[in-house]
Amino acid sequence: MEKEKLEALLIEYIDGNLNETDRLQVEQELAKSDEAYLLYEQLRQVIQLIEKSEAIEPGSKLKQGFDSFLKTEIGSNQKPKGKTLFFQSNVHRIAAGVVLVMLGISIAYQVNKNYKQEQELTKLQNEMNATKQMMMAMLDNQQSASQRMVGTTVAYKMDKMDDEIVSALAKSLNEDPNTNVRLAALEALSKFHQELGVQKVLIQSLSMQKDPLVQIALIQLLVQMKEKSVVKDLERSADDPVTLKAVKDEAYSGIMKLS
Amino acid sequence: MKKLVLVVGIVIAAIGMAFCQEFKIATSTGRLELNIGRVTVEGYGGNEIIFTSKDRKEKEDERANGLRAINGSGLEDNTGLGINVTDKGSVIEVNQLKKTESPDVKIMVPKGIIVSFSFESQYGGTAAFKNMENEIEVSTSYNSIELENVTGPLTVKTVYGHVEAEFSQNVRGPVSIVSIYGYADITLPLATKANLKMSTSYGEIFVAPEFKIEIEKQGSMVQYSDKVKGTINGGGLNVDIRSDYGKVYLRKK
Repeated sequence: MEKEKLEALLIEYIDGNLNETDRLQVEQELAKSDEAYLLYEQLRQVIQLIEKSEAIEPGSKLKQGFDSFLKTEIGSNQKPKGKTLFFQSNVHRIAAGVVLVMLGISIAYQVNKNYKQEQELTKLQNEMNATKQMMMAMLDNQQSASQRMVGTTVAYKMDKMDDEIVSALAKSLNEDPNTNVRLAALEALSKFHQELGVQKVLIQSLSMQKDPLVQIALIQLLVQMKEKSVVKDLERSADDPVTLKAVKDEAYSGIMKLS
Repeated sequence: MKKLVLVVGIVIAAIGMAFCQEFKIATSTGRLELNIGRVTVEGYGGNEIIFTSKDRKEKEDERANGLRAINGSGLEDNTGLGINVTDKGSVIEVNQLKKTESPDVKIMVPKGIIVSFSFESQYGGTAAFKNMENEIEVSTSYNSIELENVTGPLTVKTVYGHVEAEFSQNVRGPVSIVSIYGYADITLPLATKANLKMSTSYGEIFVAPEFKIEIEKQGSMVQYSDKVKGTINGGGLNVDIRSDYGKVYLRKK
């Protein structure tokens, strides 16, 4: 049921103005959906409050008192005396001045501190970004496999990974022409195996991976992670005639350990 | 008997040297990609890549006089050594022409060149690298890899072959050596500052007792394979050595 319509019906329901069919409909809706019930509760409270506030009317005595007070006030027609409300003495004025100055200083200090913190934060972030850029550039170095390996080591040393780094490492794991680089990327990813994104990458890689040395290391890792969902993939690679014997053996032993 | 073999060997080598042909490319930067089954690469201080053959030259085929050798690979023997060398700017590619028979080639390389050796066929031999300060990448299925007096950075992958690597005094990381079935025998200077990772599934790990390895505590996961992770001399460059079915040896120099 639409929310506006439901609301209108609920209000009527609370007021008890509904006919039989509408009432049944509303009750069904309330039983069916928690949301509707919540709305009902809220509306009921609001309506109760409104009713209560209506009940408070000024008593006649109060009204009389007020009227007479008004009359005397009008009758007196006296101008109020001029009166200094604040800072009667110089001492107070000075004190207020001092307080104001201190307040100013502390605000300025706070602002400055925030600014500094922000600066430090941006500096840190810039450094992080610079490291990330450097790492990405290294992972992209087509000339030198060892530079790409160093790139994965940078990732390994990071405290946390973002999606960009994970996908860069996933690319290295699945596509790098050099086995040793793939293994290093796997090593870096394995450090963060508890993260869901990394787990997904590792599981996906198992069915894509063609490099036997990486396949073995990947199966070992997934078995250590007790990743039972890969049993099907392991069976598939164990049954694949092109799979290297060592990989098949690892897959079989993986299936045994997982099931 | 042994002496006789040695003498014959030397004579053959001498004849080989006498007949050997040379092919040179003047460059001292970029990448040298070797897609050949057998090779000896040596580093030197020059600025040319020099290819020579270690094979004894075959008897001249008189019938082939005036003809040109072609084959199914679409490549031409432009060196006279049984290999094709193509200069692609920053990359120099070397391919062999025969599928099953790899010529024995020796290559001298200047220091600044990255040497990449890659061969998937089972009809290969040993790839040897000597006296090199170059970055070396090796990716093969069947070849055994022997490295002598190298500094790294080094990445080696072989499936069935073994790896022997003896490093010179100043090792540069990263070093990553992996094999499935072959052994990995590594010699490092005792003073090397390294983060060491050695692993095997069905083999064993042997280490020179002089290396004091600070073993790093493993994570919370159960370990099924044998994995040693730690630092020597306070840590530094990354050294990974793995052999799944073979043994891992770490010696001191």
